[in-house]
Amino acid sequence: MIDLHRLIEQANELAPLPASTVRLAELVGSPDCPLEDVAELIAFDQGLTVKLLRAANSAASGSATPVGTVKEAVIRMGTARVLALAVAAGARPLLQGRVPAYGLNEGALWRHSVAAAVAAEIVPAFCHLDVPPETFTTALLHDVGKLVMGRFLSPEILGFIHRAQEVDHLGWLEAESLLLNVHHGELGGVIAQHWKLPPRVVLGIIYHHDPDRGLDLICDLTYLTDNVAKRIEAGLDGRQLDFAISARVADRLGLTPKMLDNLCPVAASRYTQVCRRYNAL
Amino acid sequence: MSPADFDYIRDFVHRQAAIVLEPGKEYLVESRLQTLAAKEKLGSLDQLITHLRSDPQNGLHRKVLDAMTTNETLFFRDVHPFDTLRKSILPELMARRANQRQLHIWCGAASTGQEPYSVLMLIAEHFPQLLDWNLTFIATDLCAEVLARARSGRFNQLEINRGLPASLLIKYFVRQGAEWEFREDLRQCVEFREMNLVKDWPPLPPLDLVFLRNVLIYFDVEAKKSVLANIRRLLRPDGYLLLGAAETTFNLDDAFERVAFDKTSCYRLRQP
Repeated sequence: MIDLHRLIEQANELAPLPASTVRLAELVGSPDCPLEDVAELIAFDQGLTVKLLRAANSAASGSATPVGTVKEAVIRMGTARVLALAVAAGARPLLQGRVPAYGLNEGALWRHSVAAAVAAEIVPAFCHLDVPPETFTTALLHDVGKLVMGRFLSPEILGFIHRAQEVDHLGWLEAESLLLNVHHGELGGVIAQHWKLPPRVVLGIIYHHDPDRGLDLICDLTYLTDNVAKRIEAGLDGRQLDFAISARVADRLGLTPKMLDNLCPVAASRYTQVCRRYNAL
Repeated sequence: MSPADFDYIRDFVHRQAAIVLEPGKEYLVESRLQTLAAKEKLGSLDQLITHLRSDPQNGLHRKVLDAMTTNETLFFRDVHPFDTLRKSILPELMARRANQRQLHIWCGAASTGQEPYSVLMLIAEHFPQLLDWNLTFIATDLCAEVLARARSGRFNQLEINRGLPASLLIKYFVRQGAEWEFREDLRQCVEFREMNLVKDWPPLPPLDLVFLRNVLIYFDVEAKKSVLANIRRLLRPDGYLLLGAAETTFNLDDAFERVAFDKTSCYRLRQP
């Protein structure tokens, strides 16, 4: 129904992240990531330096002692969080666009991405797990594939997807796969590769709807953060919070319904705070 | 599409390939055949079906069958069967065939080649000596177009991302523009052939290992029984049949018994 080569081509033609972010991703992805190199790279990017220092000195960083240098901020935040900040700044203009095929008005995809990233920030306090540092970036970008996929979903294709959902009770992702032989998670993975992001980020994006197949903790966590984001958005809109978590994922994450109930209000409150700062609400 | 047109297509794919299209699947037929109609410059789905009805001998029937076949596949699909292959099945078969140094493998729904190439990578990684044996590796599929792609060994980025570990990508594939090409020396180990599982079977050697994963789910009971009867005839007494996780021989063919491994199960012929 759609030309997969053209789809991949368009994913690879998406505006690249700033050169400094790509270089940062390469540095962070290297096995012996030197802090000095990361700090030096950031020091040459004024905008990112301001954002990093602000984040490192914010209440959410959990420290009362202020940091004054980029290197100290990198040490406090960790290189993966620094990368996440850079990716957020670089991807924001893209994620703020409309994606009508998915019913996303201007700013809606960005708000959902921020909600998922906020959930990623909160999750370590509730799950007794070693949360991979790439989780924040992955949560932020989990739906990036929709940006390109949305361009190919004509009204006719959308009609078929809706019929597949009605007749065969398929989820959106399954219907995309059946009819188009690709889903937005897979396309998001191609975009993340195009942006030279670490392989674990790519993996989390690809399998964010199907974590059983991803065979990596980051897939479970990306699935969870997407789910929490939907709960946050539904809660703020006054809708029902009927988003069940897969029992297998909950089991792997050691997540009880009570833990999830406790996590969501904290994430929602943090999300509101972040959105006010970014003027996204 | 009209009920009559849907019935025409439904009967045709059932007769030719035993594919079952339940009522309500009109959306699937429309989505797949509209693409074909556009490709064939036939203007609309109605015109395509008129063309099909007018001349039963034109090549369009074949293309319709190809379009209606589901070709979902990925590298190392489900993972566990490949672990079992590595830990149990291949070591056992190699020990039994050590004198003859001969092994016959058949992959019955090869699609674009990911499954046979996954098996070959596993062999090259863990049992490279097998490549010096008299190894027959036949991979078949109903659809000529996907077989042509399988033979080419070329995969796009989406296909590569489906299940292929980066370490194996680097070792066994060569970048060709926007695609990746499976290593030619290994590609040549596989003989790709067209084969319709529900028509007369072409000659195949006695088989040590049969992969027929996620195929039977598309067939009705009679077709499943017929396919299993053919495999029963070809599978060696100590050979193995691997089906998809949602498939079984139970209640279809009692000649097979289930063999449980760690996280997967396979089938072999019940010993007398």
